[in-house]
Amino acid sequence: MTDTITFPDVVNWAVPLFIAAILAELLWIVIKGRGGRYETRDALTSLIMGAGNVASGILLGFVAYGFFMLLWEITPLDLGPSIGIIALCFVLDDLRYYWVHRFGHRIRWVWASHVNHHSSQHYNLTTALRQTWTGTFTFMMVVRAPLILLGFHPAMVLFVGGLNLIYQFWIHTEAIGKMPRWFEAVMNTPSHHRVHHGRNPRYLDCNYAGVFIIWDKLFGTFVPELEEEKVDYGLVHNLGTFNPIRVAFHEWVGIFRDATQPGLTWRERLNYCIMPPGWSHDGSRETSTAIKSRHVRRNPGLAGTPGLPPLTNRRS
Amino acid sequence: MPLSILLPMVVVGIAGIAVLLHLLGLSRRATLADAAKARAAWLREFPTDAPIHVTLCDNRSAALIATETGRGVVWPMGADTTARYLTGARVTKTSSGLRLDLPDYTAPRIHIALDPDEATAWQDALKETA
Repeated sequence: MTDTITFPDVVNWAVPLFIAAILAELLWIVIKGRGGRYETRDALTSLIMGAGNVASGILLGFVAYGFFMLLWEITPLDLGPSIGIIALCFVLDDLRYYWVHRFGHRIRWVWASHVNHHSSQHYNLTTALRQTWTGTFTFMMVVRAPLILLGFHPAMVLFVGGLNLIYQFWIHTEAIGKMPRWFEAVMNTPSHHRVHHGRNPRYLDCNYAGVFIIWDKLFGTFVPELEEEKVDYGLVHNLGTFNPIRVAFHEWVGIFRDATQPGLTWRERLNYCIMPPGWSHDGSRETSTAIKSRHVRRNPGLAGTPGLPPLTNRRS
Repeated sequence: MPLSILLPMVVVGIAGIAVLLHLLGLSRRATLADAAKARAAWLREFPTDAPIHVTLCDNRSAALIATETGRGVVWPMGADTTARYLTGARVTKTSSGLRLDLPDYTAPRIHIALDPDEATAWQDALKETA
């Protein structure tokens, strides 16, 4: 079994590229007067979240890596480090990303980590860097276990995961409209990902792809960006603070407060952790499904259009 | 990449971008041009609870909202806005207006710039519904 395989830490090496690209996007917006918006405190918060994500990786990365190496010890399979295997690993890891990302929107425990990425009301290249500090605590590293058990070396799996993250950087922009049709059909693009960051009922919980948009088309979660409905960025309930600590931990605090309120059954306490964001034991809040249904009831003409359910009499 | 290179690059990069944005005039806060804008900003956060009364402050930086459910406030978050109900809020007069302390981890403190008379009026209005 190959134990000495090494791959570069591509995300750290990409930091100069991130800074240069942000400056280029900013310059474009200032000169052209279009293609997105920047605001100082919003961008600063996003950048600090990005730095914190790198720091948390340095401090807590050993947990996931230790878990992966343990699996590597167990598995009898070793696919080696050929280019073809790295490419296959990249594609399968992107499928892994799709599901982790989907869980990240549909399971509140995972959303608590991912929510900060959606907490900006802006959509520019700094938003891409608004990353979690608490990913380790979601235990989503288990979704990578099959790859390692299949014989992909942990270092390779982390390497392709880094490439995936770097790919996703450039799609966080309003400066690019639509890419050529063939590219939009296969790849995740600024247009597809703008939709993912939308708080419009239509755009909630869709386009989970990392690199290949085909996963969303395959699993029924694809929603195109519609010219008639501009994306409104941010959270259903936008934050009232730029404090990075509050941005990083607010949903964890929310889970704690909800799950420890008096008078709940243990089932209800558990549900505050694992049900979709917006779930409540007394129905006083709305999940994305309920928001979409309400939107359709108020706008029956939109029923059944992309991202929205058909009109029904049932209130969910 | 060695930490000795990564760390200074990240610190200088973040600080440099923040300073540049500020110098480009991109630190300007949102203003609510009129009551209709304040109403729209409220409905953006609470689409099912329409305002029945909007009190826009003189400098158009915030608005006090009354709905059938209760009182709320709309205020700028950088170039954008957000809104919260004022349930459980503690209202304190400051030299520049009012400070609202909310039992909300995502919006713990809101500073609203008001002239002294306006601050008193807002405080009275909030007492009425407290």
